Amino acid sequence: MSDLIFIAEEVSLVEKPEKKEPLGLLFWFCIGWIALNFVGAIFANVLPLQNPLYQDYNTINAAPSLHHLFGTDDIGRDIFARIVYGSRVSIAVGFGSMLIGYCIGAPLGMLAAYRRGRFDTIVTTIMYIFLAFPAIIATIAVLSFWTPRSVFKIIIVIGLASVPLVYRVIRTATLSISTKDFVVAAKVQGARDRRILMKELLPNIAPIGISFLLIGVATVIALEGTLAFLGLSVVVPTPSWGNMINESRTVLQQNPWLVIFPSLALCLFLLCLNFIGDRLRHHFDVTEVKL
Amino acid sequence: MLRYVIRRILMLIGIVFVISVGSFFLIHLLPGNIAAVIEGPGASPENQAKLFKLLGLNRPIYEQYFVWINHVLHGNLGTSFITGTPVVQSIRAALPIDLELILLSQILAFATAIPLAMRSARKPDGILDRIFSAGSFTMLSVPPFIVIVLLVLFISVELGVPHTGPSSYVSFASNWIGNLQSMALPAVTLAVGSFVVYYRVLRSDLIATLQEEFITMARSKGISQRRIMWRHAFRPSSVALLGTAGVNIGGLLAGGFVVQFLLAIPGLGYTLISAINTDDYLLVQGIVLVVSVGVVLINFLFDFIINIVDPRISRE
Amino acid sequence: MSDNSEKLLVVDNLSTTFATAGGPLPAVSNVSFDLLGNETIGIVGESGSGKTVLSRTIMGLQPRTNVTVTGSVLLNGNQMANATERFKRELWGTEVAMVFQDPMTSLNPVVRIGKQIDETLRVRLGMSRQDAKARAIELLELVGIPSPAHRYNAYPGQLSGGMRQRVVIAIALACSPKLLMADEPTTGLDVTIQAQILNLLDELKERLHMSVVLVTHDLGVVATRTSRIIVMYAGRIVEVGATRDVFANHRMPYTRALLESSPKVSNASHTRLVTIPGRPPNLLKITDGCSFAPRCAYATEKCRTDRPELQPGAQPGHSFACWNPLPATRGVTAS
Repeated sequence: MSDLIFIAEEVSLVEKPEKKEPLGLLFWFCIGWIALNFVGAIFANVLPLQNPLYQDYNTINAAPSLHHLFGTDDIGRDIFARIVYGSRVSIAVGFGSMLIGYCIGAPLGMLAAYRRGRFDTIVTTIMYIFLAFPAIIATIAVLSFWTPRSVFKIIIVIGLASVPLVYRVIRTATLSISTKDFVVAAKVQGARDRRILMKELLPNIAPIGISFLLIGVATVIALEGTLAFLGLSVVVPTPSWGNMINESRTVLQQNPWLVIFPSLALCLFLLCLNFIGDRLRHHFDVTEVKL
Repeated sequence: MLRYVIRRILMLIGIVFVISVGSFFLIHLLPGNIAAVIEGPGASPENQAKLFKLLGLNRPIYEQYFVWINHVLHGNLGTSFITGTPVVQSIRAALPIDLELILLSQILAFATAIPLAMRSARKPDGILDRIFSAGSFTMLSVPPFIVIVLLVLFISVELGVPHTGPSSYVSFASNWIGNLQSMALPAVTLAVGSFVVYYRVLRSDLIATLQEEFITMARSKGISQRRIMWRHAFRPSSVALLGTAGVNIGGLLAGGFVVQFLLAIPGLGYTLISAINTDDYLLVQGIVLVVSVGVVLINFLFDFIINIVDPRISRE
Repeated sequence: MSDNSEKLLVVDNLSTTFATAGGPLPAVSNVSFDLLGNETIGIVGESGSGKTVLSRTIMGLQPRTNVTVTGSVLLNGNQMANATERFKRELWGTEVAMVFQDPMTSLNPVVRIGKQIDETLRVRLGMSRQDAKARAIELLELVGIPSPAHRYNAYPGQLSGGMRQRVVIAIALACSPKLLMADEPTTGLDVTIQAQILNLLDELKERLHMSVVLVTHDLGVVATRTSRIIVMYAGRIVEVGATRDVFANHRMPYTRALLESSPKVSNASHTRLVTIPGRPPNLLKITDGCSFAPRCAYATEKCRTDRPELQPGAQPGHSFACWNPLPATRGVTAS
């Protein structure tokens, strides 16, 4: 096999293969879908939608029609509008909490892995203790006691809860990169720490970081759904995908639209996130030589 | 090897200690007068004062902790003010149900994931592989609560079985057939989530292992494909699987509550949610402690198993 | 010449091509040679010459996807090229076995070495557990591992590099194959250990009446241990003949360059290391003419436009592929 590997190296040394693993049509479709959701969430107010809170008792549990694209729920509210407005909650919670987690956890993780020493030992021990504590239970406990609930509070709680996880992932990634020869070489050449961090470590950690970010967003959005089932998500009239699916439980047989559309919205969004994260990982993993 | 085990046990004790502190302070961090909170709304000031003294809340905090931890080590987690039953009793009733649910779902998950992953790894990009890889990737994006709701929808709509409400849980001791029936839906739901993860992890690890030189060498010995897969490829690949399983099972213990809550299976998760809803703080505290310790123990156990499978880890 | 039935291995016009992202890669092209029983032949070349791919293809161990093999490999009359896996499996271990380059990666790191030897015996020869263990310990002793009964239970990681390679040899020999393919068996080992392992191979070859194909980039390894040498470059044979002839009467300039580039003890100190200028060709871009022409000091126009075929030299069994060979009268030896 040494011959094979050498041949492969030869090929890449002599000239760059024209085709890097292409991201693919499906990838861009997923990006498009996510972007669409973002647009819907941001511009919901100005889009030609029904009022998501208006209860029209004349049309309860209606099937999809021109007037109500996805039908209505059990108290006459337009499902389509509620889904578009509901995307706000999911997107805000998902990206907001991961933002918090990354702003705190990532720099700490990188620093700890790079510096090692006492800083690393102390912070890592603290983080690992937090990790041992089942975060879900703590999240539920805090959210149920910290009333009245709001999207903002949910973002904070989940965000803080995700810090130890982000810390661990980034730290592990930094550790494995910083022990590689090219980083040691840079150090020996006298490069200053900040330069090493930016030029050598960051580009190599970025793929894993972004990939985990997307997975994290997907997980948090699913978590919001779970919380909704416990009545711990946003307060009831406000639409969220999780809330809608929860509400559908009582009218499951009469109104399948109330469960199908929000579920589709949620699952499609998650699927696209996961797919993008996966694709990016493959695209940037230059160490994988495909023969 | 022995040194490794001792080191891990010490770490275990340390972590459990910290968890106990955390669980203890969970109540004390709540806003408001603790006695008023526990006693419930509408309690008179004299009762509150009595309770205050009874709970020893006028003592310094660390003393309270030691009193509490002493009780815990003697198996006394307090008696719930809401239900009147000792916390330990509630937990003892609920825990075996969790364990059974975990056991059933994991058996299902492993029994399907392992053979399928082995098959897929042998013929990567074959039909089977493509179907399951795409399918499992999709299922990753479907959270368990949606799986349940859709399953229930399917069962009640398609099969015409009326969706009457919470299914009645039947304990194993009284009627084992009824027990398995009532556990079927939750077990399958949890199994799906576990299957997806196990299949993907094992498959990718197997494919990587199969490219190693010692597999080629094993081939050159004239050994059959099946033997190579099971005897040579599986063991190194199972390390990642075991690690995932440990995390997953720990997660099921801590997070299986959605399934339990929706289907009224009175496990720890269900009990926890009810306790939170009824402001039963002592019960919440007790369950948090037990579950946290349980998760840590599970991780410890799986670390140990991994070490047996791949002895290189303890030598490093 | 004797008919094919006496020859252990007959390779005829063997080519191995890989389908890569950049196009077809002809790692081995039109290789033909024979091997008799009880003979050791060396295959020499730089990294990338195709020698490892050749040895794997002969054995039938090439990857199953994206590889095309044409030509014929007759092992004791059995056609190995493009045979089914099941067919090849019958021959692996009992007719032909392989010793791999890196014993750390070719041994299963989480299984004890005794078990790895046992496996061959039990699966291929149907031995019982006790018999297999006894035979395994015998084999360990045969390859020169001290306290074999004790080492039987060791993990590969607990042994030194040289010992591990001995274990690999023991596994290869377990079912007494008639042909042993040794793919760079000593590269990566210390120089002193190298000699030990090679001597061990020699000894075992004699005792067990095996033939050995010794693949290496190191000419020193093949100098005294082989009866014939094949020199490969860019996937083709460029020179083949009796070892003595190839060393003393080589005609192809590449062979000379190879010989000159190995440092010799007899050189005066501070002698400059001779290197071959340039690098091995990119096999994805096949050019006309001789593959070595860009780096050859003697290249002529014809060398760049026509690919030379193997032509016989003065001595029997000696052939080379060159339009502008070195003079034949250099270093005449008594045949």
